[in-house]
Amino acid sequence: MEEMKMYAYKCKKCGKLHHPRYIVCQNPDCDGREFEEVPLEGKCKLLTWTRVYNLPEGYMVPWLNFGIVEFPNGVRATGQIGFDDGIETGMELVATVGQVRDKVIKYKETVTEPQYGFIFQKA
Amino acid sequence: MREVGIVGIGHTKFGKSNVPFIDMTCQAALEAMDDAGAKTGRKNVIDQVFIGTMAAGMVQRISGLASAVVDTLNLRPAMAETIENGPASGASAVKLGFMAIASGVCDCVLVVGAEGMRAVTGWEGTDFVATMLHPEAEYKYGCTLPSFAGLFTRLCMDKYGVTSKDLSIVSVKNHANACLNPVAHIRNVVKLDRITDERIINATNPLVADPLRQFDMCPVSDGAAAVLLVAKDKQEELGFGGKKFIRIAGVGSATDTHVVANREVPTDLLAVRLSAQMAYKMSGFTPKDIDVAELHDAFQILEIAESEETGLFPRGTGHLAAREGKTEIKGEMPINTSGGLKAKGHPLGATGVSQIVELVKQLRGEAGERQVEGAKTALAINFGGFGNNVVATILTTK
Repeated sequence: MEEMKMYAYKCKKCGKLHHPRYIVCQNPDCDGREFEEVPLEGKCKLLTWTRVYNLPEGYMVPWLNFGIVEFPNGVRATGQIGFDDGIETGMELVATVGQVRDKVIKYKETVTEPQYGFIFQKA
Repeated sequence: MREVGIVGIGHTKFGKSNVPFIDMTCQAALEAMDDAGAKTGRKNVIDQVFIGTMAAGMVQRISGLASAVVDTLNLRPAMAETIENGPASGASAVKLGFMAIASGVCDCVLVVGAEGMRAVTGWEGTDFVATMLHPEAEYKYGCTLPSFAGLFTRLCMDKYGVTSKDLSIVSVKNHANACLNPVAHIRNVVKLDRITDERIINATNPLVADPLRQFDMCPVSDGAAAVLLVAKDKQEELGFGGKKFIRIAGVGSATDTHVVANREVPTDLLAVRLSAQMAYKMSGFTPKDIDVAELHDAFQILEIAESEETGLFPRGTGHLAAREGKTEIKGEMPINTSGGLKAKGHPLGATGVSQIVELVKQLRGEAGERQVEGAKTALAINFGGFGNNVVATILTTK
């Protein structure tokens, strides 16, 4: 289940951690182009959040909650929040991985492909 | 570098267009050309046409828009390119027009911004705008531009004490200004108590992206705007000597991280600050010289934050300035006299050019009831993505 994991990407030259994947290291003093995958999971802190009611095409739910979190290693990520009650900035969460969207591919016949990403849950 | 200025402006009524997309685009272009006295066919002196649009290909199924417009207007064989920089496509097109003339490559450039967004459903519209976001780290989650505005607003509320009512104050001010603007999309008076009263707020002003409500964000609009740029040293020769020359004194643009979560200070709009600094430096002006500004208020929090990043107000005080009425037409620093994106409307690629059209009217003294007395120098901020590609422009009569 390779697609069910999320990673940070560690520059092999300077050690800087990235999320998402980049082609060139984002450290202004480094030009590294090779990265090592480091699992990105577990506890994280909620920096800010929103509940959105006008969703793009394809979501048949009345709202979705989104948050930006920071992991203990300093990496930040955006994702869905998987619960509705008691969401508060600064709270501790656990990063899980689940299906976040159906990607629609129109070629000869229309097919959908599940996309996976962070769903943050209560710690 | 040659002096470059604006001698013609055009603007369609923003809202729901009832004419084909290319016709709407040409309508703004012709209005700007007529304003300047520019001719078509054998008498054409336009060297280059730049058209800013984000989604003509995606929504209207029309690509190569600039080529189509040049032919429709009988401006062949003028050079023609379509410019895409998300919601900042318009100001990017103006910037490129400025650069083409300043460098000496061209003498006269027509710049048009155009977008037809209401041809698709709200769902589809929300989705195509969201394609600006990072595909893996943001878009795939169902995040939209209002999502990031909601995330950003909550951070600003926590850090600076901005309140929901402050956002409504900005909104009410921009709606009042739009009532004075014949080309605005929404020309309705909005009363503060109707959109802030806790007893009725969920009916009159529902949440869209908590803590943002409906009146904290812009509508979805069709529209087009155009400006005709000319080199100062060719103004007479090309036949535009009778028009007031509004000089483009400075342009600047800057980029920031594509992934919003990766910004060093999440409440900063670094690309706004850097682009404004670049434009100030080129122009020789400072924030104290600005008499009127059009700031990209797709979300009302952005007007507040941009007013700080551009140096018009100290950091963390933009909402206080709005509360005190300083940003009203008769205030000490009028912002969005046109009604802003909030009420004039936000046809993505047209917005940056529309901002310039409003400021030219202000600097010519042709803004009617919304005229800022004695306005001589003006600033525009056009905001692409969620602030990851921003263009600043400074105009002056000096």
